[in-house]
Order: sequence, then structure tokens, then C-alpha cells
Amino acid sequence: MSHDQIQNLGPWAEAAVPASLSDRKEAQNRLFPILAEKFGATLDPLDRWGLTAVVAKERLRETIFFLRDDPQWSFEVLVDITAVDYLQWPGHEGARFAVVYNLRSQSHVAHRMRVKVWADEEDLDVPSIHDIWKIANWQERETWDQYGIRFVGHPNLKRLLNHHEFVGHPLRKDYPAQRRQKLSMNDPMVDQLEARLRTLGYQLLDSVPESSPMVEDVLKGGR
Amino acid sequence: MTTATQGQTGSQAQGPATHQDAHAGNSGFLATNIDALINWGRSNSLWPYPYATACCGIEFMSAASSRFDLARFASEFFRFTPRSADLLLVMGTITYKQAPILRRIWEQMAEPKWVIAVGACACSGGFYDCYCTVPGIDEIVPVDVYIAGCPPRPEGYMEALMLLQEKIKDESYMEQRRQGLHQKVYIG
Repeated sequence: MSHDQIQNLGPWAEAAVPASLSDRKEAQNRLFPILAEKFGATLDPLDRWGLTAVVAKERLRETIFFLRDDPQWSFEVLVDITAVDYLQWPGHEGARFAVVYNLRSQSHVAHRMRVKVWADEEDLDVPSIHDIWKIANWQERETWDQYGIRFVGHPNLKRLLNHHEFVGHPLRKDYPAQRRQKLSMNDPMVDQLEARLRTLGYQLLDSVPESSPMVEDVLKGGR
Repeated sequence: MTTATQGQTGSQAQGPATHQDAHAGNSGFLATNIDALINWGRSNSLWPYPYATACCGIEFMSAASSRFDLARFASEFFRFTPRSADLLLVMGTITYKQAPILRRIWEQMAEPKWVIAVGACACSGGFYDCYCTVPGIDEIVPVDVYIAGCPPRPEGYMEALMLLQEKIKDESYMEQRRQGLHQKVYIG
């Protein structure tokens, strides 16, 4: 793309030009010493692209705040939260789980990175960041559902993908992949319905019983 | 069917003499034909409920629209409430979280009702051999016809419909009445 063509693209010109790999690498090289100095972050040796910073649990929230709000970096988008189970990882020592935050920048083209937090099996508590990004609410619920990581401070840490009668966390390496668990009845989600009604300004006079009204009425001969 | 015919003839014999004279010889046919008449009506006016959860549902849209035209098989009148449908088309992956919903939909359909499992996922769970997918919907609801494919071609839907129509033509309304199936009530 020539210079004139880029000029014609108007305000989106900068975004239209993909950052070269060397640019990105150079930016990472500037960022990681800052993270190491401010938050004690280390570069993750398991990541062959060198884009992952490992921080301690206690410093996670301030690291995330810095990465999101600092105008030089401004990682505005939380792409995903997930976890890794290193149970049978060859040669792995230390904590069993790692919680991974995938970040991406909108204002700096193609800048991306990961923040990684170790969580041992005895202490699965990780601070929640649901107030930093709204989407983190559901992503943390998914991580809790699949890996059993407890996010401290989360307002509603319930299962997201699996049903409410599910026992265990299926993406852990010691969960047999084909162990199926049947569901007898769907979750009526009355608590979420009531919370939603309250935010809309309704006043609840009587709470709905958490069972199937159909079964009860038929059995009692009502309706 | 021969027993029903004889019974009907016997009861007619006790009726008024004029009636017996007017219809002598033909009255025995009536009970035999009720099955044929009802089965003809049922098999040629199937009202499907499309329970589409995956790509089989998208393929079904093509099978149902003008190029392949399921209306030729008298199965074009899609109902989006189970109360007025008599054919449940399960198209796609059913997870254990979804299973009670599918079961309740099936229970809400009035008798007589039939079920077609469309595609690999509905028949057997497909390649989702994992903790969350039901390995075939016949764990939850009884299935009349299975269609193979991932997703099946429109010809698959047509063949399944024709097979189902043949199956319906083999059923006996009088037999179902005797067993009380026509007034079966499900709770749950």
C-alpha cells in the first residue's frame, strides 16, 4: 500500500496498516521491563512467542489496571480468561493451575499479550476482575465451571456452561472426558429473575418456589 | 382386522330390519376402513415441530423451501408450538443441559406423535463423544426414524418422511384405542 493510498483512508489510516512483527517485538521489549520493575512480573518461559507476563496473585489487579489505563499501552480489550491444568505436563513443577488473561489493544494496532497467574490446588483463590471489564463476569464463571478456579469477589460465581447438577470440573486433566452426568430438571434461575426484576423497579411480594410449578399443581390436583 | 369386521357385522345384525336390508353386505367394510382412512389422513398431514439446535436445522430450511419442497410430501405446515404439532424433528446436538427441555417439548405434544432424529448428533451424539453431549436422543424420547448424515442431504429428509408415512400406515387406530394410547397423559 503506497503512502498516497494510506492518506486517502482518512482517520482510519493508522489502523489500516498492520504493525510489523518487528514493531510488535520492539514494543514488547519495552513493556516487559516496565512490568518487571513495577509489579515484579517475569517472562513466561513456556510461551515461545515471549508474550506472556507472569505476576503474583496479589498484584494481578494493579497490573491489569495499569495495562488497561496507561495511554502508552492501553490494552482495552479482554479477549478471554481461561485456565491451564499442568497436571501431566512433562517436567512441570510448582502450582498445578494457571489462569490466563488474553489482552488486546485497539488503539495500538495488533498489540496483544497475556497475563498469567499461578494457582495451586490447595489455594485456588484468584482475585476477580469483574469490575474492570464487564465481560470478565461470564468468563470467570466459565473458568470456575470448567477448572474450579475460585474468583474472590465475584458477585455470582455459578456454573455457566455445564448444568447446575454437574459435579466436578470437566476440563481438569483428572476428569474422565466421557463421564456423562444427567440432568433431572433445568435450573429455573429464579434468583437471577428476581434480581433482574428488582433492578427494573419491581417490588417482589412473594418469592417463587424453586421447583417445577407444573409437577406440583398436577400432583396436588390444582389448576 | 378381521375380528373387528366380524364384531361390527354382529352388532349391526341386531339393529332395525330396514337398516340391515338397506346396507346388507356393505356394513362389514366400515370398521376395516377406519384404520385406512385415519392412517391416510395422519400420514398425509404431518405437522412438524422443527427443534433445530445445529447445522442440520439450516440444511432442513433448504430441504423445506421451494427447490426441494417438502410440501410434496404433505409435511409443510410447520408449527412452532408442540401443542399443535404431531411430528418432532430433532435436528442437531442435544446436550444434557438441553435434554429436559426436549423431553418436556415431547411431552407437550398430543398423541399421536412421532419423532425423527436428524443427523449424526441426534442419532448417536456424532463426534461429540464427551462429558456434555447426549449420545443419541433415544435416551430421552422414543425415535421412529433416524436420518444419517452430517448434515443429511434433502433426499435424506424426503426418504425419512416417506418411511414414516409407511410406518403410520401400518398403525391401527382401533388397536391404539384398545390400549388406551389415544388418551395417554404424561406428567412432568
